[in-house]
Amino acid sequence: MPHPISFRFNSNQCIWTPSHKMLLRPHYFTLKPFNLFQTFSKNIFPKYKFTEIKRIGSLRFSSIMASSESTAVSTQNATPQPLQVAKRLEKFKTTIFTQMSSLAIKHGAINLGQGFPNFDGPEFVKEAAIQAIRDSKNQYARGYGVPDLNSAVAERFKKDSGLIIDPEKEVTVTSGCTEAIAATILGLINPGDEVILFAPFYDSYEATLSMAGAKIKGITLRPPNFSIPIDELKSAISKNTRAILMNTPHNPTGKMFTREELEAIASLCIENDILVFSDEVYDKLSFEMDHISIASLPGMYERTVTLNSLGKTFSLTGWKIGWAIAPPNITWGIRQAHSYLTFATSTPMQYAAAAALRAPDSYYEELKSDYVAKKKILVEGLKSVGFTVYPSSGTYFVVVDHTPFGLDNDIAFCEYLIKEVGVVAIPTSVFYLNPEEGKNLVRFTFCKDEGTLRSAVERMKEKLPKK
Amino acid sequence: MEEKLSSVAKTLKPSPIQQLSFLAQRCNAINLAEGFPDFPAPPHIKEAAVSAINSDFNQYRHVQGICENVAVKMKEMYGLDVNPLTDIVICCGQSEAFAATMFAIIDEGDEVILFDPSYETYDTCIRLAGGVPVYVGLDPPLWTLDSDKLEKSFTVKTKALVLNSPHNPTGKVFTMDELEIIAGACKRRDVLVVTDEVYEHIIFDKERHVSLASLPEMQSRTIITSSLSKTFSVTGWRIGWAIAPPCIASAIRNIHIKITDSAPAPFQEAALTALRSPPDYFNSLRSDYESKRDYIFNLLQKVGFKVQFKPQGSVFVFAELPGSCSLSDIEFVEELIKQAGVVAVPGSGFFHTNSSSAEYVSGQYIRFAFCKSQDTLAAAALKISGLVDETGNLKLF
Repeated sequence: MPHPISFRFNSNQCIWTPSHKMLLRPHYFTLKPFNLFQTFSKNIFPKYKFTEIKRIGSLRFSSIMASSESTAVSTQNATPQPLQVAKRLEKFKTTIFTQMSSLAIKHGAINLGQGFPNFDGPEFVKEAAIQAIRDSKNQYARGYGVPDLNSAVAERFKKDSGLIIDPEKEVTVTSGCTEAIAATILGLINPGDEVILFAPFYDSYEATLSMAGAKIKGITLRPPNFSIPIDELKSAISKNTRAILMNTPHNPTGKMFTREELEAIASLCIENDILVFSDEVYDKLSFEMDHISIASLPGMYERTVTLNSLGKTFSLTGWKIGWAIAPPNITWGIRQAHSYLTFATSTPMQYAAAAALRAPDSYYEELKSDYVAKKKILVEGLKSVGFTVYPSSGTYFVVVDHTPFGLDNDIAFCEYLIKEVGVVAIPTSVFYLNPEEGKNLVRFTFCKDEGTLRSAVERMKEKLPKK
Repeated sequence: MEEKLSSVAKTLKPSPIQQLSFLAQRCNAINLAEGFPDFPAPPHIKEAAVSAINSDFNQYRHVQGICENVAVKMKEMYGLDVNPLTDIVICCGQSEAFAATMFAIIDEGDEVILFDPSYETYDTCIRLAGGVPVYVGLDPPLWTLDSDKLEKSFTVKTKALVLNSPHNPTGKVFTMDELEIIAGACKRRDVLVVTDEVYEHIIFDKERHVSLASLPEMQSRTIITSSLSKTFSVTGWRIGWAIAPPCIASAIRNIHIKITDSAPAPFQEAALTALRSPPDYFNSLRSDYESKRDYIFNLLQKVGFKVQFKPQGSVFVFAELPGSCSLSDIEFVEELIKQAGVVAVPGSGFFHTNSSSAEYVSGQYIRFAFCKSQDTLAAAALKISGLVDETGNLKLF
């Protein structure tokens, strides 16, 4: 049965060659597990029958399978089963951000909850996008990224980490870092694999991991320093551990992983052959210490996916330009998942992102100093109001202990804060596997203009009485 | 590190259609392969995007106006009553709407019926969600639906059926009879339908696109996916949507938020302008594409392709190689690139082996896209016409 599928460009002769001939596939691929993708040359790979597919399919056992017995309908029974959404959605609900934002609008509250700026991105980046739209760059981009953006990502990564990477084989552009995370997880995690997370964590991690059928193990970071409990991490590792998903600088605490902590994580990963997915979207918002990419530690690049995006650094969170950096074989898995999640990423924004990433050092310095000033306003304000403010070295978030104000838990406090004071914060219990662990903490953001920050502080000073 | 890939990822291969486009670019071949326009997007829509960027619509955003406009269009065109507050999810293109829908409704082992030939991506989205694709072959030469074949493909595990009309790659527009057969079968078996209607406005010969959801009792079990891309020639903007009954739409929305969180903000704004385009815009779109279809169809017929089926919609012609041609579809496409400098897509990539029609037809079809400027089509015609023998047929045949 002829089948065209993969062709690889032979740059010397401007012809294309079926990929099986060029053997560019990772070698395991010659196992040809799926009959759908037979090559046209019948002799080279054997046919797999439909039963083969089922056998491979059955290896994908998961808690999802186990719990789906209730949906099985007996073969004799002609009664139709009720329309059902997938079991994987049991963990999904409207996000806390949306709920809080609606409440905020209703009460006219100042929103220091949701993590996006109320000021706009730099003109030169917006101009570049406009130019791209006018230059008719409005059709599908190459699936894994416009070449110029892939190059710009590689250049920036070299400047930041010292690592030299191949933009064509080791960079994948996605619709925001959120999609990079989804593609990484779906491309690399099997049902039943264990993945370690550090709580509190950004809420898409848990949801996406459960979509992939992973078993999540959480290690809680505790105040005041939120340092990594290395012994706990060691004992959480088992032979089923496939990856650690980490985020530095860290949302919501603002903690930045130190070199010692990264080295300890690295040695555990190397020893146990574990992957690391490192979400580094706030890397340019690092104030109290330098950001270190774990991929740059010895022995780590080959097992790390470094995730980042344009949105936070350039205050263009709505553009949805992100990327994943990983060695070629791992990138391949990410690209496959990505191509079936969104197929391609917004074209004009990619051209603009390439321009953005080539911004001079002065842009980043100014970004930092602006944010340092904003942070000062918020932190001093929160302290004077009576919160216990935990040190935050990076991101544009701080977490505080709200218990001096006498409310039961973080959600009650946030509701009170919106309705009675007119300020929004995010209850952090949603960022924990066990919500109890977060009930004393709430997160504020300072990615707002200074006027907004001052007004919020004023409102809290006026209306938030310490008990 | 290969063993670190997930088992589904290991079975995946890069898009053959994308691969051919890279090749065409590098060889400077005329690209009649990938289905995106090479002419500019409509100026009023581009300006709307530019204005959105300048007006600082650049942060995470959900533009509810899109839902309102889509609801208006659904009523106008298909008589559907859709609630813009609960039934519509804005996604990064129809691609993401479809992927999110699969994740929202498919559990491990659920079967999904598809019509062969079919767009390559559906299969993998289904498998990524743990589903099992089951193919029902449409019967050549006119790609008709055989209701017996359809009936036989349902099992107790069938959860959903995918319907793409107007159809990629054949250009078929499912007839009312066929839609009724599909609707009847799905209602009897209590199966969901996921439609891909991206070509809903690109339909010819005074045909009217009928959305399956508008048939009696179908709206409550149908998820419609569509986008701006093909209608407004902005395939690179990634603005699409899913329309479904509230509980399913809510599930799709929750998944979408975890996959990408939101669609690009400035283009959401521009979508408002696009969706409010006057009837003239849609009329010109149809008539322009109809003349392109005629042009390519006639060309292919003239040089000896067997084109018994004239596409009634979409931007593709699915042309059959004549019996005399000893080349397979892949070999033919390779030769066409080398000898005529024109790229098309070998049809076998759209057929799947567990469907009954695949055995004898899959190596015989070539898909040509005509969503290209008149200049491009003329240049392609010149090149192809230059490759004919004294009978006027392609030398390759």
